[in-house]
Amino acid sequence: MRVLLNQLYRLSSAAAAICLCVIAGLVLVQVFGRIVDGTLRALGLPIAGITVPSLNEIAGFLFVAATFLALAATLRQADHIRVSMLIRAVPLGARRVLEGLVLTIGTMLAAYASWHAVFLVIDSIQFNSVSFGVLAIPLWIPQSALAIGLIVFAIALADELVDVVFGDGVPTYQTHEEAKSDIIQRPVITPEEAERGSS
Amino acid sequence: MGIEMLALLLGAAMLVALALGLWVSLALSAVAILGIVIATNVPVGTVMATTIWGKLNSWELTALPMFIWMGEILFRSRLSQDMFAGLAPWMRGLPGRLLHVNILGCTIFAAVSGSSAATTATIGRMALPELSKRGYDPRIAIGTLAGSGTLGLLIPPSIILIVYGAATEQSIARLFIAGVLPGIMLAVLFMGFTAIWAIMNRSRMPEADPPIPLMERLAATRRLLPVILLIVAVIGSIYAGLASPTEAAAVGVFCALILSWLSGTLTKESFTQALLGATRTSCMIAFILAGAAFLTVAMGYTRFPRELASWIGVMELSPYLLLAALTLFFVVLGCFLDGISIVVLTTSIILPMVQAAGIDPIWFGIFLVLVVEMSQITPPVGFNLFVIQGMTGRNIFQVALYALPFFCLLVLGTVLLVLFPEIALWLPETMLSNR
Repeated sequence: MRVLLNQLYRLSSAAAAICLCVIAGLVLVQVFGRIVDGTLRALGLPIAGITVPSLNEIAGFLFVAATFLALAATLRQADHIRVSMLIRAVPLGARRVLEGLVLTIGTMLAAYASWHAVFLVIDSIQFNSVSFGVLAIPLWIPQSALAIGLIVFAIALADELVDVVFGDGVPTYQTHEEAKSDIIQRPVITPEEAERGSS
Repeated sequence: MGIEMLALLLGAAMLVALALGLWVSLALSAVAILGIVIATNVPVGTVMATTIWGKLNSWELTALPMFIWMGEILFRSRLSQDMFAGLAPWMRGLPGRLLHVNILGCTIFAAVSGSSAATTATIGRMALPELSKRGYDPRIAIGTLAGSGTLGLLIPPSIILIVYGAATEQSIARLFIAGVLPGIMLAVLFMGFTAIWAIMNRSRMPEADPPIPLMERLAATRRLLPVILLIVAVIGSIYAGLASPTEAAAVGVFCALILSWLSGTLTKESFTQALLGATRTSCMIAFILAGAAFLTVAMGYTRFPRELASWIGVMELSPYLLLAALTLFFVVLGCFLDGISIVVLTTSIILPMVQAAGIDPIWFGIFLVLVVEMSQITPPVGFNLFVIQGMTGRNIFQVALYALPFFCLLVLGTVLLVLFPEIALWLPETMLSNR
């Protein structure tokens, strides 16, 4: 089960990363095409006309996919920001209760959002919604990425909740969260050194 | 329920949700749901799904992951090591000498990273030990670092300006260009102050080092120069209308990859790490934007921002007074929230009011970022202060005291921006293409 879930998160974030690569690739092709055409025109030659049809729309869709498919991994690596002042200040028992509480709220919100994202997809299939551009891409395709990403996110939150309530009480992101502030706060000069510098 | 009651209730709910440690993006959505459920009987879930889909599915926003990715790649090349070595030889002749490395280093690094805490931490970890070793007064060394670390928010390509542009539907290209002059103005103010301080406090400066021949200086800077050229090219191509921000950013990613390949730091591992890092950071910001978009729609249903705007209209508050009040409000908010959260949280409520007062939304974006910069170095809590406290072991009020002159310079910069709005608005007006 553990292995399966980890695999799911990894797969989802890999798909998100690939979306970013595709965006970069497509945009570069478009820019390259423009440069080639500009050069050809300047030389008085017929233009090659390399363009990516409906690039603006496709890039937007890929951006949505990248965002939502990465949600779970972002949570587990503690990259979603929050105000952790209180949670880090209270004693361990209270901390566990707080983590449990925010994870419960989070799981409910994500589940609710997933539910309605699925409806969005179903609506688009029923009404045959397509994008406005030249390519007329069926909207359910990018919207499915949104729904799947949210579902994986809900699973990841529930996963952490189970860990906090029934497991060792420490969510996966906690070590990352603390490591992050430790990296930023690692002393580089001791106060004594600084004093010596000032005298 | 009366509108005042509702506003109070939602405000309280937001504070509680944030204080508990609920993730900012989720807190925004939770309050939005609460607002819609109480104020109306529209189907909440449908509004949520369509808003999130409609808002994030945007070509302009695609610039966000690309710029973040470019930064991640450069961050993993030898940029931070090269920064001190590349800048220091040039600064020896200026009054204030190597202190300027802090300021310029932050300015350049800020253009790449867009985050003030990361800028402060990276430049500080490299520059503070060097400055301390060479006998610079740590008070001014820490002060310059704290102050110029905040530049990260303003210098384009600025992540926070992309967020503001997306949240308020302003042109990201124009916002970028509007940020250029104010950013340079601040860097000049900081450097000027440091130079004057150094002239007046000769006894607290170390002995001057002998100057370095030009060729050696160039050699020391050779690895830094391409990065500077890359940033200039990215901003320049947006200004000249040659590329939209997304296109400039994608080309930026490409060039950053080539630079890191040439410097021998491009490995399979560093590529994957940069890509995954960018994926997660962009996800975090985009998800906050999604929550903010939903909250904005919810706020529209509660009619609260409109009421507030018309109330301000009835009060006939002068824009100056309004801006002063907002400044205070943002500095307080900045005590416990990071810049991006402040921007998304407030634009949904405040922008109608600001526009009703006849303030240009592009100008307001720059103003907002300046004020958020200020809030990063005000005690008792400010993100940059925390970073420096951790690095130097000095307590936060001490650090804030060292940073005070730079805080005052930021206030001065803001006043100049209010008195001469052209500082922000002149360049965008001369842009060759209004994409």
